[in-house]
Amino acid sequence: MSYLDLTISEIHQALVEKKVTPLALVQEALERAKKNEDNAFECLVEEQALAEAKALGEPEADNPLWGIPFVLKDNFSTKGIETTASSDILNGYIPLYDATICAKLKQKKAILIGKTTLDELAMGGTGTTGHKGKTYNPWDPKHERLAGGSSCGSAACVSAGIVPFALGSDTGDSVRKPASYTGLVGLKPTWGRISRFGLFPFAPSLDHVAYFTRDVKDSALLLDVLAGRDERDATSSTKPVEVYEEGWDQLAKGGKIAVIDDIVETISDKKLRESFDRSLLELEKAGIEIGHVRFGEDLLQSIYATYIVISCAEATSNDANLDGIKFGPFYPGKTYQDVMFQARTNGFSELIKRRFVIGSFSLMSENQDILFRRAQKNRRKIVNRLNEILGEYDAIYAPSAPSVAPEFSAASDKLSDEYLIADNHLALGNFGGLPSITVPLMMEDGLPIGVNLTSAPFTERKLLALAAALEKATGLANLSINNKKEGKL
Amino acid sequence: MNFEAIIGLEIHVEMKTKSKMFSAAPNSFSHDPNTEIALLDMAFPGTMPIVNKQAVINAIRVANALHMSIDHELNFDRKNYFYSDLPKGFQITQQFRPIGQNGYLDVLGRDGKLKRIEIERIHMEEDTCKQLHFMDYTLLDYNRAGVPLVEIVSRPDIRNGTEAMHYVEAIRNIVLYSGTSDGKMEEGSLRCDVNISLRPYGSQTFGTKVEIKNINSLKNIEQALDYEIARQSASLLSGIPIQQETRRFDEASGKTVIMRVKTDAVDYKYFPEPNIVPIPLSDEFVEDAIRTCPELYDAKKERYLAQGLPEAAASVILSDIAMARYFEEALPLAKNPKTLANFLIVEINGFLNKNGIGIAEFPLKASDLAEISNFQDDGFTHKQCTDIFNYCLEKGVAPKDAQQALRIEKVVIDESAVLEAVTAVLDANPQSIADFKAGKDRAKGFLVGQVMKASHGKLNPAAVSKVMDEELKKR
Repeated sequence: MSYLDLTISEIHQALVEKKVTPLALVQEALERAKKNEDNAFECLVEEQALAEAKALGEPEADNPLWGIPFVLKDNFSTKGIETTASSDILNGYIPLYDATICAKLKQKKAILIGKTTLDELAMGGTGTTGHKGKTYNPWDPKHERLAGGSSCGSAACVSAGIVPFALGSDTGDSVRKPASYTGLVGLKPTWGRISRFGLFPFAPSLDHVAYFTRDVKDSALLLDVLAGRDERDATSSTKPVEVYEEGWDQLAKGGKIAVIDDIVETISDKKLRESFDRSLLELEKAGIEIGHVRFGEDLLQSIYATYIVISCAEATSNDANLDGIKFGPFYPGKTYQDVMFQARTNGFSELIKRRFVIGSFSLMSENQDILFRRAQKNRRKIVNRLNEILGEYDAIYAPSAPSVAPEFSAASDKLSDEYLIADNHLALGNFGGLPSITVPLMMEDGLPIGVNLTSAPFTERKLLALAAALEKATGLANLSINNKKEGKL
Repeated sequence: MNFEAIIGLEIHVEMKTKSKMFSAAPNSFSHDPNTEIALLDMAFPGTMPIVNKQAVINAIRVANALHMSIDHELNFDRKNYFYSDLPKGFQITQQFRPIGQNGYLDVLGRDGKLKRIEIERIHMEEDTCKQLHFMDYTLLDYNRAGVPLVEIVSRPDIRNGTEAMHYVEAIRNIVLYSGTSDGKMEEGSLRCDVNISLRPYGSQTFGTKVEIKNINSLKNIEQALDYEIARQSASLLSGIPIQQETRRFDEASGKTVIMRVKTDAVDYKYFPEPNIVPIPLSDEFVEDAIRTCPELYDAKKERYLAQGLPEAAASVILSDIAMARYFEEALPLAKNPKTLANFLIVEINGFLNKNGIGIAEFPLKASDLAEISNFQDDGFTHKQCTDIFNYCLEKGVAPKDAQQALRIEKVVIDESAVLEAVTAVLDANPQSIADFKAGKDRAKGFLVGQVMKASHGKLNPAAVSKVMDEELKKR
């Protein structure tokens, strides 16, 4: 293990004590990145990263991100660095501006070492649909298992020990699910807590900037930096930014968590169920009250369809700007229709086209009432139910996934009956814009599984406090392939 | 006429805010292509819209002037379609909750009576980019992409070209005087599309609609509609059904010409814009926007009329907002608004026309004009005042200096002085008196001229003439 395998706060300590330099960290990160075979990168920015690391002077003691290497999912706009959203339609596209979170991280002297793979245009949950092909789960050296998606590359990088944190985006579960599959802490804060300016949109009403770390404290430290009102994002919140790592002990004690029984019951993985039950006992020991609620089977079963209709509808609209005229590969034609048609036919994969068809179909005037508007109304019903439960409890609690990372052969973009509820309940956090976090729970045959806590809007500090209590119980803080553990549950 | 014309108008107005509807790019209608673009205007991935507050204020003011009910919550929607002039692949507009609804305008009909035209909605949206089509390629200029627009949609209450013209004129005056737009039809900052169908009188169903796009002057509106009504009437009377078409007005021939056959309505897949959360507009905000609206055309006209201006004069002044501004600048300094108005309408307009300039380039200050106007009310003759006026323009001096330089003095209407001068001239010219009595009227003119000469033009010519008449009778 090297310093690079520590958490952000631990590395920070080492940097301040001059036990390690940013340059050494970046050099090692780049080496690991180059050696890595999980297909996690769209590109590396080696020259830039080394230059930035060399240019840093004295360590800033009160800035935990100073000199820390990280990666960005390739759907964040980075000035001067090709950004493709893992889609051929944006091959060669070099943005003229930095996303707000990029600028914030730059300002804090964190060091970007590369852009990571994603499911094409962030539309997917397997990490297999990007134009560079499959991204592999570092936990399976046989390369038979997926890392999840859409933030596959970012998840792989952190769990492979290349960097201690990585940015992603979460529209249905795209950080919190891969976090479960790769043994990481994945936080999606409240909608509007972090500016989305510069995040290529998938479905704006569901999109969130989200990120991976290897422990809950790191997650809080990052939120301190990334949260805040941005005048360029009208949906960003004006609520003041808190100090998210403070007061956890008081917040956790007397906390009330609701287990969603009708999600848990659909899970057949016995080891997972047992581990989950053990976690409840540990949480109670920590002074946290456990309740049990039923969400409502109809509502739970409707999550996936609701999500697909809304997200595909918004996506087909958002991605209408990808027409081959202004940026991206250009195909000359006799008419504007020719130009657009060729760019989009050649640039999008079949899966994307499929989703656009679903989206367009849902938005057709004769279909909107029974598809798009109905999905939105159902979303409102779901959120009302969530608010009901969160009116009595501080958070809802369930496993993040039905089991360990699936094998590639088992995965598909299509609707599956088997895990209709267990595979899709994380979207609850997106429907309501609720802060939601995945934390590793256990290891099963060398593969991690995580659990999820979701709380009321703008209650990140309490959520993190509860997650920290959970982390203590699991003993799986700072889990990675270079730091394997069995866990206590 | 055998048929009733059912006419509705859609007017798009470009707002002259400092920046665009949803981006911070400058909105100064630059003629250098692609120099006024923000990242959002070219729809670079990850960019987001921010609502232009001034545009909202403008829209509220116009909605209020049109007697509309104003929505106190700001909502935007996406209108989705693919076209090369639409960078995002959708236009942000207000489909479901327009800022204003259910208003009206009373306009002058063909019969000289006022007619109420109902207005369905006013909403904000953004403009598309400009396209220049050549043989083998099309060029795109994104300066216009994102420019703020208000769209005003009337109910199909209009029945002829005259009503339509007056309706557009009234709207233009509103957007102009509220400071919302410069309303230049010929430049495209006010664009007028007409929908017209015919039906037999008494029929309750509607005929086939024809759209006439981009009529670029008030006069052309009247002409285009008159022509189209005649065209459609003739067609229907010959048993030829009307095709659903989009047409344009060809000014040279005075006819409407087909542009394209209208296909079935496009499905724009409207849905709420997710990147703009609904914005509540407080009563205070709305009332403030209305209260601070610059004085509108109708109010100004009322005020001018109350000041004694004849209707025609008021109309001329108000037909040019810059002139109205100039007039109002001079007004507080002028003793008689009518005198001032006359100078503006006759002398100044004459000068502007002759030199091909607008009042913005007019070299005389409004305060100077007021001074000259006051000279006239103080007793100087109109000619004296115009002499001063012209001298000021020529030499670029102030009126008082002009007056001195020209040695212009107030003409005396001292009756005794006039009598004295007339008597002196009559005494010295008995032959002229005889000539006049013999019927030679020119003799009187000669005698008056002699008086003017002797008095160095200081006597009021009208007074001299009057006294001359009286004295000649006595002799």
